[in-house]
Amino acid sequence: MNLRAIGCNVTSAPVALRERLAFTPPLLHRALAELTARYGAEAVILGTCNRVELYLARPEVEAPLHAPLLAEFLGEMHGLSAEDILPYLYEHADEQAVRHLFRVACGLDSVVLGEAQITGQVKEAYETARQTGSTGSLLNTLFPAALRVAKRVRTETGIGRGHASVSSAAVDFLLTVFDTFTDKVVLVIGAGKMGRLTLQHIRELRPAAVLVTNRHLDKAQRRAAECGGQVVPWDQLDEALIKADIVLSTTGAPEPIVSRRRFDEKVRYPRAGRPLVIFDMAVPRDFDPAIHDGESVILFNVDDLTRVANEALAERRRHIPAAEAIIAQEVRQFVLDWNRRKDGPIIGRLTAEVDRLRETIVGPLLQRFNGKLTEADKAYIEGAFRLFQNRLLHGPIAALQEASRTGQGHSLREAIRKLFGLNDS
Amino acid sequence: MTVSWLQNVSHACFGLSYLLAWLLEWPAWLRPSWSRRCHWAAVGFGLVGLVAHTLFLLVHHPTPAVPDGSLLLLAWVLALFYLYGTVHQAGRAWALFLLPLILALVGLSLIVGWLEPTTWPAQVPLWISGQRFWGALHGTLILLASVGISVSFVASLMYLLQARRLRRKIDPGRVLPLLSLERLETLNRRAIALAFPLLSAGLLLGLVLWHFDQRGWENWLSVKVLSTGGLWLVFGVLVYLRYGTHVPPRRLAWLSLAAFALLLVALMAAHPFAATGGSV
Repeated sequence: MNLRAIGCNVTSAPVALRERLAFTPPLLHRALAELTARYGAEAVILGTCNRVELYLARPEVEAPLHAPLLAEFLGEMHGLSAEDILPYLYEHADEQAVRHLFRVACGLDSVVLGEAQITGQVKEAYETARQTGSTGSLLNTLFPAALRVAKRVRTETGIGRGHASVSSAAVDFLLTVFDTFTDKVVLVIGAGKMGRLTLQHIRELRPAAVLVTNRHLDKAQRRAAECGGQVVPWDQLDEALIKADIVLSTTGAPEPIVSRRRFDEKVRYPRAGRPLVIFDMAVPRDFDPAIHDGESVILFNVDDLTRVANEALAERRRHIPAAEAIIAQEVRQFVLDWNRRKDGPIIGRLTAEVDRLRETIVGPLLQRFNGKLTEADKAYIEGAFRLFQNRLLHGPIAALQEASRTGQGHSLREAIRKLFGLNDS
Repeated sequence: MTVSWLQNVSHACFGLSYLLAWLLEWPAWLRPSWSRRCHWAAVGFGLVGLVAHTLFLLVHHPTPAVPDGSLLLLAWVLALFYLYGTVHQAGRAWALFLLPLILALVGLSLIVGWLEPTTWPAQVPLWISGQRFWGALHGTLILLASVGISVSFVASLMYLLQARRLRRKIDPGRVLPLLSLERLETLNRRAIALAFPLLSAGLLLGLVLWHFDQRGWENWLSVKVLSTGGLWLVFGVLVYLRYGTHVPPRRLAWLSLAAFALLLVALMAAHPFAATGGSV
């Protein structure tokens, strides 16, 4: 195996560099084509907001690609100098590269431990490379294996259980309250940056309408334009609260804008018991926590959602050893299978060659004793020669498999080829 | 398969199958890797239980007019609901909540049968053959209403649990997934909306039958009649509260639980007009 995983991630490189190294789709296709043409390598480029990684495989007879060369390549692609990139690159070789990819695909190397999104990104990176024609036998075996391992780890451990991000926790809480969203109204209060991702997730549920209100009309208009919502004047907040099913509040108000008294007097009764889910993402809080009753008003603030996310992360961390054990087992199996696949042809040719030699000796021998030997004697002699052949080949085959396991298979394969006069035909 | 072999199908056969189906749903949730296999194994046992249950009903002809018969018939209809809901929605929560109810009904039927043994007809009973059409219709309406009340009971239990989790803000990703509050509320509302007219019609028909049979008034003081009347009243209140006022769904859920308790009393009580099971 001549495999390298070279790249940088959120822990090895600053965001400014990762941003510069990001691949646009046209650049990605160009880079894949260049890697194949220039270095004769199979290539997959995995680019996410947290990492840029290149998976490169070359024939075993050729020298592996190393980080300095790839730093030059990346510099050339992105208009940077290799010296600016190289210090931030890491490099994993062969078995370690397999292990690294498996860990990445499982979300063990992610900022949010166990996140599922990365598996889709790995799949997408592989599909892009495959369509570009930059993958070969090794990467076409490795990436499907990585996706299978990710699925196995996710189903056999709790690494993906719970919601380790505030926005996914918010959406899952919504799903425990509502069944359909096409008849629901979302109210966005304020124009704070907090909760933008949550709003994005909520909008993916396709609510009937998004209402936006703010003390400053221009800010409300801007926010409404961003999220495709309708502006509601600030003085109609109570009416909007009556209409809404989901509220996302992100104002910068120094004190609560909706007290329990105000809510009970002006909002609760007209709502006639319809459930209202409020995500109060503001600090200080916009809603009096006392209005939460867990049934008609379900109020979550940043602390609630962060607590849920932290608890889920703590729970996921408990499953790291189990996930690592599965990955270790899968890496061993992958390397073993790959080496068998590499050794298979030469072992086949070696066995066929010795078979041929055995027959050239046994055949004339039996001819010479024709008529003097019984069928049982002939079978015994043939069996003895076969046993000799097996014992003779056992040593070289075992040594070849062991050498392949430790990454030294190529030289031994060459030696066997020369010693036994095996040609490639 | 002979009739004598079928005679050996007992409460234990389908009761244990349902129990295994229920137990198999738990590891499916506790250990994700077992999820699919355990779930389908559970569905398999549930199906085996339903087949055994059906064979038992076909061979023994239990009548809804006697307590153990009505409990078994109700359990059978709920088992159909369980399998449909589990396969259709692949919802483990549905199975985890409904199967204990089915098991409880089968268990109660067994206990009631031991305490007050009744003889079920060897031949097809009169109520099935149509000779007592109106009595059969009365029983069927009450039985269908009972199914609605049982579904409302399960939906209410799940609703209360889900509302409790939301009140405590427990991460839904780390606990047994339940249906949403909105869906449970809809399920409960539909179950009540279907059960109330069926119950009313069944009771009204019973009243008419009583009038034509010219039975004595003393029969009206039986536990069966009083608890069924109480059940109808509770249901009337439930329907009024649901459609006429804005009572929080949690209170309605508690009332649904009370209605189910009354239903159990009504089902377990002896029918005042049914002298023996065989004649009904």
